[in-house]
Amino acid sequence: MSTSPARDDTDTVDDRPTPASNSFVGDVLVNTERWACKAVQTPAQLVLEVALAIFSLLMFTAVFGDLGALALERGAFAGVDYVTFILPAALVQVAGSAAIGSGIGLIEDLDSGMFEKTLVSPMHPAAVFLGKAIAELARVVCYVLLIVGLGMAMGASVETGLLGIAGIVLVCLLFALWYMAISNVVALLSGDEGTLDAAANLLLFPLLFFSSAFLPLSALPQTVQDFATVNPVTYGADAVRALVLGRDVSTVVQFHHFGGALDTLVPAVAVLVALDGLFGGIAVWLLARASRSTMV
Amino acid sequence: MVRPTLQTATDDSTGIDAAADRTQSDDAAGPPAVVVEDLTFAYPDGTRAVDELSLSIPRGECFGFLGANGAGKTTTIKLLATLLDPTSGTVQINGYDAAADRSAVRGTIGYMAQSVGVDRTLTARDNLAFACKAYGVPRDRRRERIDELLALVDLADVADTPAGQFSGGMQKRLDAATALVHDPALVFLDEPTTGLDPKARSRLWDYFERINDRGTTVFLTTQYLAEADALCDRLALLREGRLVESGTPAALKRRVGGAVLSITLEGGGEAVATAAGVARESGLLGPDATVDTTDESLRVRTERARAVGPELLVALRDAGVAVTGFDVAEPTLDDVFFALADESSDGLADDPEAEGPVSTDRQTGGAR
Repeated sequence: MSTSPARDDTDTVDDRPTPASNSFVGDVLVNTERWACKAVQTPAQLVLEVALAIFSLLMFTAVFGDLGALALERGAFAGVDYVTFILPAALVQVAGSAAIGSGIGLIEDLDSGMFEKTLVSPMHPAAVFLGKAIAELARVVCYVLLIVGLGMAMGASVETGLLGIAGIVLVCLLFALWYMAISNVVALLSGDEGTLDAAANLLLFPLLFFSSAFLPLSALPQTVQDFATVNPVTYGADAVRALVLGRDVSTVVQFHHFGGALDTLVPAVAVLVALDGLFGGIAVWLLARASRSTMV
Repeated sequence: MVRPTLQTATDDSTGIDAAADRTQSDDAAGPPAVVVEDLTFAYPDGTRAVDELSLSIPRGECFGFLGANGAGKTTTIKLLATLLDPTSGTVQINGYDAAADRSAVRGTIGYMAQSVGVDRTLTARDNLAFACKAYGVPRDRRRERIDELLALVDLADVADTPAGQFSGGMQKRLDAATALVHDPALVFLDEPTTGLDPKARSRLWDYFERINDRGTTVFLTTQYLAEADALCDRLALLREGRLVESGTPAALKRRVGGAVLSITLEGGGEAVATAAGVARESGLLGPDATVDTTDESLRVRTERARAVGPELLVALRDAGVAVTGFDVAEPTLDDVFFALADESSDGLADDPEAEGPVSTDRQTGGAR
């Protein structure tokens, strides 16, 4: 129950019961805490996600290493270590796969009655979803930092230093956000974890391979290059790579205005923000709709 | 004037005693817990789940909402709890308008859905902690409040077990506790005991009785009429989204009228059928009478039950039916329910086929 402002006021009697409530920020924090607490309660999932992230970095380096080095020499990345080149791929992969699990929590809440339970509380519905999103994005930040650390331990170098790492985290969050939004959209439309799982796999792996994530586009067949141009993962990977290498790496957008990494970053971030706005808007609209029609 | 408001009474303590005080001081004060006028909820196809419903529930009352499945009970509760927007009509909860002041309504009610609403990953304690924070229970009072609620619903021993490992009854009790963390002035309980075994059900009802005694207004739906009879101050019967009858349990029973003759027979179904025929053709029963049968007994409800009882027994003996038991009782809520809520065209019509299982239901429903 909240502290009632009229509590000690004996002159004016509003004899209606005082509604319990929090501040908006308080509501957000409560929900962030709940989802963080749930994540800690299921450590196996955390461990597996971390393991997947670590394995993908090791795997990409081991499988594509020699081939990759050759491709890098032929492309515009002469002198770049393959592990440095592949680090952005591992980062967008870990950000995407952590974010796309977002809808699973939503489906669980719809099934367990917790969705309705939070809805009937005085908490602001937007704060409920925002709190959950913050907990999930915090997880993305942890994974990203872990993979950056691992990559550097394996010999990758981040040319832009700490500021660059902060930028990498931000880009990964922007990248995670549209995956998160799509995940929630699929969750609300299908209400089914199996469907969401299938959609997640479809969205993650084919898009990763048909992008600039693993190899310079110049080393790939023309059809792949064409698809990569319209593939959001290319923009995510290029943005992170520009921050890792500290220079313009984009081959899909010819943008030369600022010089250096910004020539890649600005258009790539613009694409990611547009995607976040589009899918985020759809997700918010669907969530608002679901919040107003909990049918019998 | 120094009247403690509802809030003040509970603010200085989480204890039952302080809350009990407010029953006396606040019963008459303040707006009714629920005021509904011409409430209608229609689906897009035009079907009305709730049809021009009007009712008012004073503070502190235990109000029971009865009706068959699909009568509109859950839709009504969702409309009152702000989970659905009405097609037309107004809802006032604790003096707040449900459409204009949704968050104030939400902050003064507790809501227990028909299906359980607990986070299965979290422990019982963490579920309650989340609810406390969601309802803004101050930090320094949370622990005490959680312990009190755990004790109240008998889950203190398993407080640190994930709710996913609980039985259905335990989850229901946890769900009930989380609906009460903020000591709401009004709780909505949608079939709170459906699907539970009799022991779990009786524990939960004891618990609802306790919170109602503490001054909380209780609005519940149930299919266990004997329990509604024991707990509720007032009942309403809903059929096809319309209120068909409301009043105290005693008044409703009077409305059905008469008394019920239960006659136990020897010889099984054949004897029962013969006896039913004898009763109907005896000319002893008035036009209001109903005759129900079970496997081994006859239930005759009529205004003149006491007067015609002996003559009916004689008629049965003359027809060669062996009577092994005989009882006269007031009608139960089941009689009311089946006479009013489940009726087809004329509810008091005698239809042994449809009403056959009544007695069986009543016996299991009545077990506490």
